[in-house]
Amino acid sequence: MDLATHQRKLLGLFRTTYQVCDDDDAYIRKVAESKDLAEGRRNISLWRIYVLERTCTLTVNLLRRRNLLGEALSNFIAKNNISPFRETQAPAFLEELTHHQDHLIASVAQFELALMKVREGSPHSYVVTWCVDPYSILNSLAKDAPLDGDVIEGTYKVMISRDIPGQFQICSAPREDGMLLEGGS
Amino acid sequence: MAASTQYLQQQVNTCVSIGATYEGRDPVLLERMLPFVDYIEVTLETISEVHASRISLSSEVMSEIKNIGKAAKIIVHGVGLSIGSHEGCSPTYLQLLDDFLEQVDVAWHSEHLGYTKVDGEHLGIMLAMPKTEEALDMVCERVTAIQERYNLPFLLENIVHVVPDSPSDYSDAGFLNALTDRTGCGLILDVYNLECDAHNHGFSIQAFLKELQATNVRELHVARGVEHNGLLLDVHSQLANTSTVELAQHVVRQSGGNAQVVVYEFMPEAVPGLGHDAIAEQLGRLRTAFRN
Repeated sequence: MDLATHQRKLLGLFRTTYQVCDDDDAYIRKVAESKDLAEGRRNISLWRIYVLERTCTLTVNLLRRRNLLGEALSNFIAKNNISPFRETQAPAFLEELTHHQDHLIASVAQFELALMKVREGSPHSYVVTWCVDPYSILNSLAKDAPLDGDVIEGTYKVMISRDIPGQFQICSAPREDGMLLEGGS
Repeated sequence: MAASTQYLQQQVNTCVSIGATYEGRDPVLLERMLPFVDYIEVTLETISEVHASRISLSSEVMSEIKNIGKAAKIIVHGVGLSIGSHEGCSPTYLQLLDDFLEQVDVAWHSEHLGYTKVDGEHLGIMLAMPKTEEALDMVCERVTAIQERYNLPFLLENIVHVVPDSPSDYSDAGFLNALTDRTGCGLILDVYNLECDAHNHGFSIQAFLKELQATNVRELHVARGVEHNGLLLDVHSQLANTSTVELAQHVVRQSGGNAQVVVYEFMPEAVPGLGHDAIAEQLGRLRTAFRN
């Protein structure tokens, strides 16, 4: 087996995109059946978690509390060609979650992604819509504390901009005239 | 002979410098480490930032590194070159290295003898190369090109075997010997990786070291990970074991005075759990073991 074939088959085994067939040599069959391969795949997840729990703390904490971190990570690894450059991983992971079917996960991911962009110098302002009061949620996630069961439902908006002291401001739903009813960052 | 006496005798022949990895943005940690180290090892991928889809060196971390000045020498250790990929090395990594070397004087630079991508698709893990003539020819050609491009000493590091070894033309040590003979490059010997291979695959460290031309070893890495499902993982999350330090001492003696530094590797994600004090104490213990 030449080097290119060797590497392509191992890539396929790690990414579960390659199925071993009868024509494969004994080595590839041995790797496919090895516990090393399963552990190697788990290591890939472990490395991602190490990076993501440091770079997108809020979203990872929420996923953990929802018991969805493993699933989200597996989807992310399967769908994305993830660069070894750590800085690229958090934005890609958050971007993927901005459309999550769980509205709260989507909101937290959108918020954290916008905050990341602003902290990196983006001149744009971002608005993220929430279906619950963001304050207690963000407070719990930032402290890695249990989520308060008595969240206040409603439409809230969080503005994220480098022009806001603290870089974000929580607002309730805007009035019809567009003015914000209350705020605080 | 009492163990303590034996330990003191070993110190006589193991005098090398001490180094530590540093990935920036933790100046308090850097201050704690500098009194114990002669070298700071920097990994470019972890001091890089993404702006408008372009990866470049963080100006904040570059300022920190430049400010180290004479307190420690700088060495560069890459993870993203992917020198073993059949389709070629990473141009992004080479661009970062170009930028770094324009700004900072380094004693040498290094990479892992492995690959992290195939046909542009990232593995998410680093795999060892098959030790075949084809792979050796390819890597030697790339090492020579890198040495000509930078005119700096270049070292390659043994990596853990994540999956079982493939049929080969060379043993592990034989492949490293042929590589250094053909190119003149040096080696980093990661002794914790040897321990992982011994634990996970029954690899014989003794046979490896007997065959290895250890005079090509310029740098050693000590680290420690965790055990999971019976396998030792190379995750650099713990303080080094005594057995790892003793193995490094053995290799330093075997290098015949050519080994120059022992680097303690830890990842930034492990710092909160380890604590600055423990990292400084680890470096202090290494200094005692390797400097006298």
